[in-house]
Amino acid sequence: MARLIVLGGGVSGHTAATFAAKWLGSAHEVVVVTPNAKWNWIPSNIWVGVGQMSKEEVTFDLAPVYAKAGITYKQAKAVSLNPAGNESSDKPFVTIEFTEEGRAGESENIEYDYVINATGPKLNFGATPGLGLGDKLGEYTVSVCTPDHATHAADELKKCIKKMKAGERQKFLIGTGHGLCTCQGAAFEYIFNIEHELKKAGVRDMADLKWISNESFLGDFGVGGLHMKSMGFAVSSKIFAESLFTERNVDWIIGAHVNKVEAGKVHYELLDGDMGEEEFDFSMLIPPFAGVGLKAYGKDSADITDTIFAPNGFLKVDANYGAGAYENWKASDWPQTYQNPTYANMFACGIAFAPPHPISKPMKSPNGTPIGPTPPRTGMPSGIIGKTVAHSICDRILKGEDAPLHEASMAHMGAACVASAGKGLFNGTAAAMTIYPVVPDFDKYPGTGRDTEYTFGEIGLAGHWIKHILHHLFMHKAQLRVGWTLIPE
Amino acid sequence: MIKEIITYPTPPSVEYSTDVRVFNEELFSLIEDLKDTISVNSLEGLVAFQIGNHFNVVVVKKEDGSFFELINPRIITKKGNIVGIEKTAYFGGLSAEVKRYDKISIVYQDRDSHQHSLKAEGAFSVLLQRKIDYTFGANFLNKLSSKEKARFEKSLEFGSDIAISETCPTTFKRDYLVKLANSLIIVIAILFFVSLFVDDKTYLSEMWKYQLYTSFGALGVNIVYFFYAQYEGKEFATCSSCQIGNIIGTTVISLVKLTLLMTLSYFLVNPL
Repeated sequence: MARLIVLGGGVSGHTAATFAAKWLGSAHEVVVVTPNAKWNWIPSNIWVGVGQMSKEEVTFDLAPVYAKAGITYKQAKAVSLNPAGNESSDKPFVTIEFTEEGRAGESENIEYDYVINATGPKLNFGATPGLGLGDKLGEYTVSVCTPDHATHAADELKKCIKKMKAGERQKFLIGTGHGLCTCQGAAFEYIFNIEHELKKAGVRDMADLKWISNESFLGDFGVGGLHMKSMGFAVSSKIFAESLFTERNVDWIIGAHVNKVEAGKVHYELLDGDMGEEEFDFSMLIPPFAGVGLKAYGKDSADITDTIFAPNGFLKVDANYGAGAYENWKASDWPQTYQNPTYANMFACGIAFAPPHPISKPMKSPNGTPIGPTPPRTGMPSGIIGKTVAHSICDRILKGEDAPLHEASMAHMGAACVASAGKGLFNGTAAAMTIYPVVPDFDKYPGTGRDTEYTFGEIGLAGHWIKHILHHLFMHKAQLRVGWTLIPE
Repeated sequence: MIKEIITYPTPPSVEYSTDVRVFNEELFSLIEDLKDTISVNSLEGLVAFQIGNHFNVVVVKKEDGSFFELINPRIITKKGNIVGIEKTAYFGGLSAEVKRYDKISIVYQDRDSHQHSLKAEGAFSVLLQRKIDYTFGANFLNKLSSKEKARFEKSLEFGSDIAISETCPTTFKRDYLVKLANSLIIVIAILFFVSLFVDDKTYLSEMWKYQLYTSFGALGVNIVYFFYAQYEGKEFATCSSCQIGNIIGTTVISLVKLTLLMTLSYFLVNPL
């Protein structure tokens, strides 16, 4: 009997674990180690953050689902990896620390044949002074990264609406809280959902909305922007985003590295070298992501973390980390199998794999501060990668060590993104976009690096309906209900 | 080398918006082509797209006659608004009123790939904004107010910058007469249909009378429509003669429907 351990139960890890359990059956063991008791459909946290959904609607208990799937569930966080075992055993193992009530702080070593690192990111609020401490959110801003954060954000939003109804003007500042953030899309969704809710509450005229982000142009979204083909026309995402911001009277600051947050004020540095300050009454700033801080040890207990993990804490996989300058970047730099180059039984998926380099053009301020989006690995690609990695491991377990690995390069993969711009059955809007490939391939598609036949976008009510349907579909799929395998990632 | 300038209606998007990654002879040659084309055509500046190249390269002419090269430019900050009349080589000799930022800061790279920043205001700021728009596949059409856009699109159609104060409307008061005539024909049709199920000759006689009077009404409305529609069309100088055809066609269709219905009614329903 082989044992596969999946570290993390987010979108990618959950997908990998559930498919692996289905394909392996009861002859082998799948173990999920995740510190959370509940699974969260993260995209819908935006609606929790504006009070349009409850925390319960976007989460469910993992234990009964894993029990049904025959997965061994450990509510714990992974602390370290010993990929070659230790002095007393050659068997690789993971050291975990329980987080479940009654066992909190207790440690356990679990041996494995294969391991998938799908821990997701550490929400690195501590990277910006005042934004938070370590992975803990600070007191000045809100976040929509977790259901609890989003619930808190909705409460703060309610207070602001109350103040506006009482005649007190409010300033909203939404965006990224550091020069190297990703997930601009989530902040984009949040600012327009807030705008929509303020309109519904009849207080839009009492609010000043401002966007702040590390993108060098509006609509970069961490993928270097895209051209959206719609109704026979192609529109740059910059033009699309600028039109939307202007139409909804939302001002913007771009090319910004937020370097300090205080009560009611952020300090930032711009790509042109200028320093600025922006006041706010309500602010949601996405934190930068980092690896969760897993350590790795050799057989002799020597620290080999640097061998397995990149400096940002994400797991090294079969990517070309030596691509160098922007001019040398190629689509082929991106990983295909997500296998660790040192340990063949170790894989990563979702945000946990170390990307070879950004997708957007790298830029620095004259002071040398890097300001630019890091590459997104969330949503559809993370689900596809999770399933692909599970497929590879299952093949190796069932067919033998020489079974070929499956591939899912982001440079060969398309992605669909539905960005909500307001929730409502009849007045909701969402921007539905597809992009192919996620990572531009300048050799195959000279010019934009993408196939414009498959890169398109549209905003409207239908997009909102799709977004809402997707919420129910993915909640259904993640709970392994009837037909879950038929729902694509 | 002097290049041909791409003009409307060749679309400025899809293939024409990508950052320069390799700073080599190909780029330098492109920059020289832009300079040559600017000089020959006495322009303020050009973007690579305008001579058929897809790289984000802008060259503008400074007041002293020297050239300013911007590679991969981005507008970072913006302040204030100014409204001015702009012309661009892309739209030939046409102009439009465009709202722009008064002051901007930009970052860009030079031909050695070094990054620089620059602050600009007034006319220079507007010139840079116009050119940077092109690098993202846009042109000033995207910046126009809806009213100005409608006027400009009309200018494009006629190829002239002369303001066209009036357009041929797509809806007229005469349309109400068409609706009235159609409504009367529907009433006749309903009466005809009901008559098929009535045996009593008294009732049938009454119904036939109503159909007859209604048909006279419908005929009258069509006659009024025919003459009024022509009168109304003449009020708009921009309406072409094609509307006469529409008026005749609409009237004929309405009369054919009426005649068919009344003929059927006469033979199948008329108890007299």
